[in-house]
Amino acid sequence: MTSYQVVQIIEPSGRRHTLADWVRRGGLSRLVFALPLLVVFGVFSWLPIGRAVVMSFQETNLIESSWVGMDNFRAVFADPLLGQAVRNTGWFALLALVFGYPVPLVGAVLMSTVRRMKGLYSVLAYLPVVVPPVVAVLLWKFFYDPRPEGVFNTMLGWVGLGPFPWLQDQTWAMPSLVLEATWAAAGGTVIIYLAAMTSVPAELYDAAEVDGASLWRKIWHVTMPHLRGVLLITLILQIIGTAQVFLEPYLFTSGGPANATVTVLLLIYRYAFGQSLGSDYGMATALSLLLALFLGVLSLVYFRLTRSWSTS
Amino acid sequence: MRSPRSVPVLVLTSTFVIGLLAGCGSDPASPDAQATAGTQDEQVTLSVVSLIPGSEQAAFDAFDERVAQFEEMNPNITIEPVEYEWRATTFAAQLAGGTLPDVYEIPLTDAKTLIENGQLADIDAQFKALPYAADFNETLLAAGMGEDGKVYAIPAKSIYGVALHYNRALFTQAGLDPDNPPTTWDEVREDAKTIKDATGVAGYATMAANNTGGWQLTAATYSRGGRVQQDNGDGTYTATLDNDGTRAALQFLHDLRWEDDSLLADTTLDWGTINQAFAAGQTAMYTSGSDVFTSLVETNGVTSDDYGLTAIPTEGADAGVLVGGTLAAVNVKADDATKAAAIKWIDFFYLSKLLDQEQAVADAQVRFDNGQPVGTPVLPIFSRDQYELSLEWVADFINVPLDQMTGYTSVMFDQPVVGEPSRSTQETYGALDVMIQAVLSDQNADIDALVQQGNTTVQALLDAD
Amino acid sequence: MTLIRTAAPVSHGRRATPPDDPPASPRRRPRRAQRDAERGAVSEADWHRPVLRRSLGASHIAMLALLVVWGIGPLLLLVKFAVTPTQDILRTPLALFPHGFAFENLDEAWNDVRVSHYFLNTIAIAAGAWVSQVLVATTGGYVLSVLRPRYGKVLQWAVLATLFVPAVVLLVPLYLTILDPPVGPSMLNTFWAVWLPAGASAFNVVLVARFFDSLPREVFEAARMDGAGPFRLFWSIVLPMSRPILGVVSVFAVIASWKDFLWPLLVLPNPDLQPLSVRLPSLQGSTDMGVLMAALAISTILPVVLFAVFQRMFLRGAGLGGAVKG
Repeated sequence: MTSYQVVQIIEPSGRRHTLADWVRRGGLSRLVFALPLLVVFGVFSWLPIGRAVVMSFQETNLIESSWVGMDNFRAVFADPLLGQAVRNTGWFALLALVFGYPVPLVGAVLMSTVRRMKGLYSVLAYLPVVVPPVVAVLLWKFFYDPRPEGVFNTMLGWVGLGPFPWLQDQTWAMPSLVLEATWAAAGGTVIIYLAAMTSVPAELYDAAEVDGASLWRKIWHVTMPHLRGVLLITLILQIIGTAQVFLEPYLFTSGGPANATVTVLLLIYRYAFGQSLGSDYGMATALSLLLALFLGVLSLVYFRLTRSWSTS
Repeated sequence: MRSPRSVPVLVLTSTFVIGLLAGCGSDPASPDAQATAGTQDEQVTLSVVSLIPGSEQAAFDAFDERVAQFEEMNPNITIEPVEYEWRATTFAAQLAGGTLPDVYEIPLTDAKTLIENGQLADIDAQFKALPYAADFNETLLAAGMGEDGKVYAIPAKSIYGVALHYNRALFTQAGLDPDNPPTTWDEVREDAKTIKDATGVAGYATMAANNTGGWQLTAATYSRGGRVQQDNGDGTYTATLDNDGTRAALQFLHDLRWEDDSLLADTTLDWGTINQAFAAGQTAMYTSGSDVFTSLVETNGVTSDDYGLTAIPTEGADAGVLVGGTLAAVNVKADDATKAAAIKWIDFFYLSKLLDQEQAVADAQVRFDNGQPVGTPVLPIFSRDQYELSLEWVADFINVPLDQMTGYTSVMFDQPVVGEPSRSTQETYGALDVMIQAVLSDQNADIDALVQQGNTTVQALLDAD
Repeated sequence: MTLIRTAAPVSHGRRATPPDDPPASPRRRPRRAQRDAERGAVSEADWHRPVLRRSLGASHIAMLALLVVWGIGPLLLLVKFAVTPTQDILRTPLALFPHGFAFENLDEAWNDVRVSHYFLNTIAIAAGAWVSQVLVATTGGYVLSVLRPRYGKVLQWAVLATLFVPAVVLLVPLYLTILDPPVGPSMLNTFWAVWLPAGASAFNVVLVARFFDSLPREVFEAARMDGAGPFRLFWSIVLPMSRPILGVVSVFAVIASWKDFLWPLLVLPNPDLQPLSVRLPSLQGSTDMGVLMAALAISTILPVVLFAVFQRMFLRGAGLGGAVKG
């Protein structure tokens, strides 16, 4: 029994009455240990969150601020670029889902059947994830050179496919972004799936084999259901992540060509930091709150829905 | 038993509440407005813009020499050089964060907006005390004046007109005469095609991003007789982005891109990256400020041999050349003593070389000794005669290939000069950016629809002001 | 501060799997039994079937080839470009050094473009961010898991709540907090603006707290009996036992800091202080392609080397990051 518990027994009710008591019982040392967390989270996490809510109802230019009620929100909805940003973001998320969700799964399933040099596969798959995003984007920007001499165009030329405009075409730009983004992130997803798959109890496979299941059936009926939790979580996390994509549109195309790759995050950045001389922090926080609200509602609905699936 | 958690919960919720309240508190900037008029003997420390970070050591040495000369003449002023790079996106933050020097440089385009926002110091009184206050070129001076007619920023350096830059080596390689650059837009198109066919290199390129595209499209509009904005004289402005000049310019770009395939297909080019492309030999021609040669040499390693400068083709009635430049402004939080010192510095560092022979030679000597370009053609801040006089003073130090720039220098004073749109300049440029990008990235772009849409957007902004 | 990037965010997870056993009780199993326990879908019998073995084997080879191109291809090209003359890169990027090598690209990038300077900035920023994260995560985890004050639950919920707030909400107000902190002068253009907010990572705190939860309480009891106070307990007992989790947190802290872009871009407008990730894009307009590629290559060395050396830690942490049991 620790001294803490002893104190509990002697004083079952009521609180410490003196500061000395509190210090004696270790309250001060507890506080000291909690201080870094409290200060850092307080100043750099909790306070800003509160401030974001407040600022969305204000207009501020760093010298003074004034209350403007719902004006910021109204201005955000009145922005002709908002619709495009939302569409573009949705398009990016959808493409990323189509390219980036099933591919890692297939890869992971296949990799889980490997006997020799397992580690090599994982390392190769994960390598793009450790490359700094800025390096990856600048490198791929060069790969996407639309001239026939561009890297990708040259390679596609070897199999007779014509030079493509990549980032210089309004229809091609977003898929090009998604391709690089998938390259950079799919490895992480593969590792997550692999880790989950190693936790499948061997007995389940043994049981399935006793019932005469083929490899395919084993994967479908044993591995997959076991992965369901991971798959569901990864899906919503991916949607939330891609909804906030910023780096690719910013570095590849600055939102172009002709706003074809402007995303919601890019719009927020423009409101707050991209406008030449009249930063609108109010609109920026308003839009970021709207986005957070949307993602929150989406997550809630998602978990409601998937809970009913999981219980089946 | 009372919940032992009520206190900590209270503490935590109050943190959130404090966060909410913190957002409520306004931070009135209360500059220490010492209304005391600075005397001659008062010791003042003046922080000034020196050079862009990353500039050559030689350039810094040159600057330090000038600083020493100034401090000798003004023993009561201590200069504190600050490496500084103007970026519109960080200016507001620097202003609030108090990291702006006392004297800094701003582009002509942005002065009016800053003045509107109350972010520049009123230096009218100190300015009027200058002996040559009445000699400034009026258009330039107007750019730094507020609606109240007071001066907030002084024309300082790099006054340029937009001109056409071309690669003489590529011209020669394609069988064209580098001493005979194109003088009409049709000739530009033909030459671009010839170069593309003969060398495989794009004959022409245009900026398209970060508002620089709009800047150049405006220049192209002016050169064809159009205007993008109209001052109605009663405080309101009308957006005229749907004028014929802009349409023609967009059509020109469209044709070069999709019919001739002679345009560099890159919708992300801005002021810096197009210089880079030019230096790397990826385009034979482009338009930009006439003083860009300095940057091409210092930053991109262009050699004099391959560089050619000529006037931007002007056609049609009302055709003009877009001009811009750099102004010197004073931090809005400066007190009177600082302002007085600031004016002295501005006078010495930026303007004296144009008005005083001794200073002109001193400045040119320093630049020449440190291997920096002397004599890049710029437009006069005062009068043409004064400018030519100042060039005579430094004739021995001129090291730029002036004979390859005659296409521009022979007409630069005669070209009709047009300032940038005065209201919502950056937003107008942004709307024009989108048009260029659309034309370059979509073969079937509807130019009419594009200009109409851009016009509506900008008009809404102009009306909102 | 890292904004969630795109697919498969590695460092955000709702729940972590129970961490590895602490070194006090290593697992020792016969090899065959271990293999059986971790067998995966394919059984020994399956492997003996020729059709299955051949098709599986072929697909493995195909996948390996694909993975080599996927993982190494772009990096190989990067290294190639780093030592190729600019004109060759622009005209014939895939040709094999028609005009020889250009090792001076590397020298120019390191010295003239001063990649060395920005490299040091990146290291300094990563070091400070690491200290910040480890400090907050260990002390915070210690409070939540071992000390358990009365306000512990509230604290835990407050920390967890931040996991549900998208990073974008914090962007502007955090920036203004940096410009005008509650105490002291503006932190703009100081490394503190990057170091301090980095510590506010709920994921780290939760991860470490969970790990501390799994440490055997008997050891703590014994230490307390011997008269150890909370500080002694922390420093001499808990921390030494936490090497595995601290390793994971450290590796991710360093990598996250190396990759961070938007936040340093905003709070370090002075180019002299910028890390590589912020400086490299702005070099596009003033640097030859060859030199730019060399700069990019140099920036990639450290993360790749770190990964090669600490593979296991990376991969384990990556699996931890999102693996959830059902």
